[in-house]
Amino acid sequence: MTPIQKIITVSALTSGILVAGGYKIPEQSLNSMALGAAYVAHTTDADTAYFNPANMSFLDSGLSYIESGITLAHLPENTFAGVQYLSGIGGVPASGNSETENLPIPYFHYVAPAIGKWRYGVSMVAPAGLTKRWESPVQKTFAEEFTLQNVELNPVVSYKVNEKFSVGGGLRLVYSMGKVYSDGSDLGVPYKREMEGDTLALGYNLALAWRPTSDIAVGVTYRSNIDLDEEGEANLYLGKVGQQYSASVSVPIPAALNIGVSKTWDDRVTVEFVYERTFWSSYENLDFEYASAIQPGLVGSFDDPKAKDWVDTNTYRLGVTYILNDRLTLMGGYAYDETPVPVKTLSYELPDSDAQIFSGGFKYQQTNEISWGMAILYDKKESRTLALGENENGIVGKFTDGGAILATVGLSYRF
Amino acid sequence: MKRMLRLAWVIPVWFIVGCGDLDKPVNEVVKGGEVVVDLSGDVIKSGLIAAAVAGIDATTTVYGYKGYKIPYTTTDEEGNSVEVSGLMVVPTGLPSEVVAGLGLSMVSDSHGTIFADTEAPTAIAKHTNGADGSPIVFTSLGGFVTLQADYIGFGDSSDHHHPFMLKKSLVNTTVDFIKAAQVFALNNDINLNGQLFLTGYSEGGYTALATLERIEMEGSMDVTMAAPMAGPYDVNRTAFGIFTQATLSVPSFLANVGYSYALAYDEELASVINEPYASKLETLFDGSYTRVAIDAELTTVTTGEDGLFNPVFINQFFTNPNHWFRQAVLENNVHTWGPQTTVKLVHCEGDDVIPFGIAQIAEATMNAYGAADVSIVPVEATLGLSDPLGHAECAAMAYNITTKIFAQTRAATIGY
Repeated sequence: MTPIQKIITVSALTSGILVAGGYKIPEQSLNSMALGAAYVAHTTDADTAYFNPANMSFLDSGLSYIESGITLAHLPENTFAGVQYLSGIGGVPASGNSETENLPIPYFHYVAPAIGKWRYGVSMVAPAGLTKRWESPVQKTFAEEFTLQNVELNPVVSYKVNEKFSVGGGLRLVYSMGKVYSDGSDLGVPYKREMEGDTLALGYNLALAWRPTSDIAVGVTYRSNIDLDEEGEANLYLGKVGQQYSASVSVPIPAALNIGVSKTWDDRVTVEFVYERTFWSSYENLDFEYASAIQPGLVGSFDDPKAKDWVDTNTYRLGVTYILNDRLTLMGGYAYDETPVPVKTLSYELPDSDAQIFSGGFKYQQTNEISWGMAILYDKKESRTLALGENENGIVGKFTDGGAILATVGLSYRF
Repeated sequence: MKRMLRLAWVIPVWFIVGCGDLDKPVNEVVKGGEVVVDLSGDVIKSGLIAAAVAGIDATTTVYGYKGYKIPYTTTDEEGNSVEVSGLMVVPTGLPSEVVAGLGLSMVSDSHGTIFADTEAPTAIAKHTNGADGSPIVFTSLGGFVTLQADYIGFGDSSDHHHPFMLKKSLVNTTVDFIKAAQVFALNNDINLNGQLFLTGYSEGGYTALATLERIEMEGSMDVTMAAPMAGPYDVNRTAFGIFTQATLSVPSFLANVGYSYALAYDEELASVINEPYASKLETLFDGSYTRVAIDAELTTVTTGEDGLFNPVFINQFFTNPNHWFRQAVLENNVHTWGPQTTVKLVHCEGDDVIPFGIAQIAEATMNAYGAADVSIVPVEATLGLSDPLGHAECAAMAYNITTKIFAQTRAATIGY
């Protein structure tokens, strides 16, 4: 692929990045970015189609809602200071930094006018993904580049049971591209891998919305697990000679349950709390498979399954929306996000850790039909220390920095 | 359905993106061949240390290993052209005064008996992209260029039957590969110094001595030294010795001799090998079975109604000097001449497949024919081992001794 094609690819496929525990990306709109994804019970715009389709029933029934925008993601480098233990070699100095990433991520949401008690909508988002590149010799041996890019088309419907209760759901069509590169040549390890694959996978999502009073909203959403069975080719090199194989590898977009409760005061201030349970335990191992036997010398590195044993995680989100006047709405959010990656299987492709997420933004009502806004989110990762013997991949040391800064510009139109 | 959905979704995305499949691996391009292995000396050394190979430690000089698969043309037993292949392994990381100045000495190592195509030198190298077998000793430890012809029946000619223990085609394959390798070296700036050593183990030892005979007869090139190892040079006596035994330790070897000779000499296979074995052999020797798998399909009883060989055939062989097989094995002896090149017959006294006595007969016969310098190198005595080594266990020791002999000769003549 040429550099220009790569740039187009990143834009068109809404390249995934790490902005939540694991490689899930909850923030997919202006409001959700500004509120730190504390946005399940009290959803008010076209992005309702994605964050709680049951709530579409409570939008103005005669209107169409459209929102589109783009998130610019800046991923600072991860820093590792420590030692890598290699089989047959022993400990080698392994301090290094990952590459800084800057990526555009577009999104789109639409909600159609109600048809009786039914309503439909559609979203196109990037629900998960990551990209991590290392050029330092040790890290490059394992993860010169790990990229998972996804785009999800999510058509949804809602059914208004009564004035206080609605249900919704939809299909999730995820197109995914994966890329795995590793190269041990700088370390004197004669192994190199280039793998690229893609897949189309299906899932579903369910939602309900309950509005017991005019100022309280409750929302529950569930997104099913989707196994991304990436299929493509792998070039495997032993020394300077490589061969190409048909190859596949499976990674999950995990199921997630979100429960949100919001309270609104004076139709101006809304506070929402969201509890999110993400079922990362479905990610048990990373197992590359090949259509034919690979070079025997590479089996241990590139064919044997690598244990992941990720764990289910909790995320706690709090968002505040303040309608300052008829034109300006201010938003802010905070979240505490657990990492699913246990110490024993942590590796360079995703040196994840618990994080605190701070966010803020505004929305400006330009006309009756058009509004626009901006939001920014800071994902602050905690440092992570791996003591001798704790990590099955032989990593001993400390990961610092990383995280993400995301800025979103969104435009909404109601008609 | 899933594929259609995928297609429906992917097509518009691809329309926008326009990216393609992963490109093929970028391997070095050479003239007249293909690079199939390219490993540094450090990588080879690490592997040898990890495998606890005796005598190898961090201080050992180990050269890199660059293997080329070279296609070439040879001639089979019937005089037909056959497209075949061979493996040429070139050391890397040698001092520049050797690479650019003194040049590299070459060892033609004819491989021993194999049955499955996956065991052929180029097949192993191409599948594993790794170092294997004698080139580790000759090239990475000894600094020689190593040549291993696949033989007819393996590698690029795997659709042919391998003419087992048939002198003419084995020699054709080996001599033509040496010539092909010389051309390949010239075309790819590999600096050879003209030194050529011949060796091989078991069937390869037989082939090496036969190759020396052909080269001396043709006078087409100079051979520095030959060190055939554990070869059945006197096929006639080998056959006599084996047919007098009640059982066969490795029936696949003898079945392959019977099969190959019947084909080459246009004799009915059933007159040589008893049923039900005769009918199985075409399949068993098609290159997809290993020795172990073939042995499991055969009997170890030498002859008789339930034996491997037809008792009439065995009786004729012993009693009729004009029997076709008696004539055939005599034609395929490789020791009834007097080499003018130095020949070291490396053999284990405990060899249980090719008796040490075969080497003694070969030595005596060649000397009787006026050989310039033929001698036996008994492996156990040379290494100071008290226990005799069988045919299989002997191989690694024999290769080590041969490498040292060749290296000493090179040092005395070339200077490295």
